[in-house]
Amino acid sequence: MKRTFPLILVFVFGILGIIPFISPHPTIQGNDEFLRNNLLRIIAAFALVLGLGSLLKVHTDKIKRKMQNWQYSWVLIITFLVTSIIGLFGGIEGDGILPTRIGSFQFDIWTIYWHTEVPLGSTMFALLAFFMASAAYRAFRARSTEATLLLTAAFIVMLGVLPLGNSISPHLPSFAQWIMDVPNVAAQRGILIGVAFGMLATALKIILGIERNWLGGGGAE
Amino acid sequence: MKIVDSLSRIDRRIIYLMLAIVVIFPLIFRSPLSVRVMPPVEKLYYAIDEIPDDKALILNYEIDPQSQPELDPMGFAVIRHAFQRRIKVLIMCLYVQPLGLAQNALTQITNEFNSVAQTNADSIIYGRDYVYLGWVVSPLLVMLGMGESITNVYKVDYYGNKTDTLPLMAKIKNYNNVGLLVSISSGDPPKWWVEYAQNRFGLRVGAGVTAVSGAEFYPYLQTGQFSGLMVGMKGAAEYEEMVEEKLGIKIRRRASEALSSLTYAHLVLIAFIIIGNIGFFIKRRQK
Amino acid sequence: MNISYDFWIWVSAVMTLAIFSFLYRDNPFYKIAEHIFVGVTNGWGVTFYWHRVLWPFLFDPLFNQHKFLFIIPFVIGMLYFTRFIPRISWLVRIPIGLSMGYYVGASIPAGIQAYIIKQIQGTILTPQNFQAWHAGNMGIVWSIILFIGVICTLSYFYFSREQKGVLKVSARIGIIFIMIGFGAAFGYTVMARVSLLIGRLQFLLGPWLGIID
Repeated sequence: MKRTFPLILVFVFGILGIIPFISPHPTIQGNDEFLRNNLLRIIAAFALVLGLGSLLKVHTDKIKRKMQNWQYSWVLIITFLVTSIIGLFGGIEGDGILPTRIGSFQFDIWTIYWHTEVPLGSTMFALLAFFMASAAYRAFRARSTEATLLLTAAFIVMLGVLPLGNSISPHLPSFAQWIMDVPNVAAQRGILIGVAFGMLATALKIILGIERNWLGGGGAE
Repeated sequence: MKIVDSLSRIDRRIIYLMLAIVVIFPLIFRSPLSVRVMPPVEKLYYAIDEIPDDKALILNYEIDPQSQPELDPMGFAVIRHAFQRRIKVLIMCLYVQPLGLAQNALTQITNEFNSVAQTNADSIIYGRDYVYLGWVVSPLLVMLGMGESITNVYKVDYYGNKTDTLPLMAKIKNYNNVGLLVSISSGDPPKWWVEYAQNRFGLRVGAGVTAVSGAEFYPYLQTGQFSGLMVGMKGAAEYEEMVEEKLGIKIRRRASEALSSLTYAHLVLIAFIIIGNIGFFIKRRQK
Repeated sequence: MNISYDFWIWVSAVMTLAIFSFLYRDNPFYKIAEHIFVGVTNGWGVTFYWHRVLWPFLFDPLFNQHKFLFIIPFVIGMLYFTRFIPRISWLVRIPIGLSMGYYVGASIPAGIQAYIIKQIQGTILTPQNFQAWHAGNMGIVWSIILFIGVICTLSYFYFSREQKGVLKVSARIGIIFIMIGFGAAFGYTVMARVSLLIGRLQFLLGPWLGIID
């Protein structure tokens, strides 16, 4: 029961997911819309709430057990609580019951997003430019024919995509574009088709109950 | 020997410093570069330009802070193009993070147009010319649901207005009233739009993607599943070039300004890779 | 130089520099900034989940409009939290099975069409594909190269047989295409990463220090 019922659910809802793609019948399309808008959407929202709960649990456990860098978990929890309170009670447009302005100083959810989340997120990825430069210098060696091919294609594309490429030769940008359009498409398509077959096989295994690893999230049994 | 050794062991901080210098200097001492527009971007431009008057453009603004420098200029250029040509636009996000950036783009560009508008007809009016649908949970449910009814999926817009009270939504019911969907994203959403919305409802899809994932989207362009493609900051600069050339919108081109820095950074990187390889080959020979 | 006096611009600048400090080495400023990022991102998410999903789609219909049918998705959604109660944690499989079943089912016909059929259609040697290049007779050559490349790339990843004879040759050709494709992808990746750096430096030099417009 504890394993059979969920497997039956996966099978039934898997079929319910496939049929609307095949049958344009209004009843089937209508039922599909009802299922998506009224059931699945709300369940999906709870899944994300669960993710949040798990995050907070991990960090509160870290604080309780005084694990390494536990002090920083306080920073996370406090900023999360402050931002949530401002957002939930201050409203998305700052029109909630909590005032989010003192004179000309604003601290609504939008201001916090724009001045903390945006710079932090952008900068974390901006770091990658430096790491990539350092890694390319240390690791990118033309040890073999294949590596030399990779390097050559990289250099042609790096020069060809920029206006500098046009200055070097008017054919260089076109050649770089040809590399993207022909050999690159061939390689990417081969990989894409292979991955698609793999995904299809896994999807069928899940619906038919052959793949059961996902059941492991239910504790013992 | 010492020189050979040092060629292969340049301190990483020197590399970081060189990279920072060649990026900063062209930003301060600007030298504009002309951009050659390539076919994938041209295709996207004309796909948007040829949207019929009775159909709308859906812009899936999937730009998060991590991809903002590359993708935001694309979003700005596409919105300017649509507003200039009076194409009706619906803007939506599949995730929460891009919401703020989408609103920022809309506010800025609407103010740009309205600051020079002479009449009501010239102005960009919310609800009449564009609607910011915002976000609801689960990408798959949104993609499939909008094929039946957009207002059933987005009962309220980003600002909390009921969508079925907005004038534009009286005309734009589902994908049948949409000429093109352009997904500007740092991840897989453009592929999902093709997989679900295009396959089931015949929706035309265009894409703007980061350069990291750019190479893997070319197969979809070749099959015609994408009506056009912008890749990275260069793609954004090309679109800005087209918008300026074809529509006469002379405005600050953020992506194009960065091309000088990009050029020097590429040259520095190529130089370091070559230096590393020279050291490697000399050492190998000596062994 | 025209340094900003705005509080929030300084907050943004300090956050940016805290993350950049990681280039020197891992340090408390970086860690604090990292944790602030996660906290704010989730707080921002909670705001939208409540105002744009849970309230308009569940609690408002349930409590204000008295549409009691919404109790069903509410109860199923609440089963997610049984994950934290070991004795009844198996119940979490119900909402997982339900939603995963639908998403996986929906992906089957969609994936076959988009990732297999359409891609094969784009590869086979037809007049339509020759003309798609807008390159006249060269379109035929590019299409043949593409066709050979796709077949050889697929053969490279075929490990059910020992790669010898014809398979060895096609796999070798396949690896050439793969290396060119990955080289092109690396070239684009460089552009992407540097673009992100340019974006942050434009902020530091512009709104914060006022050195550029």
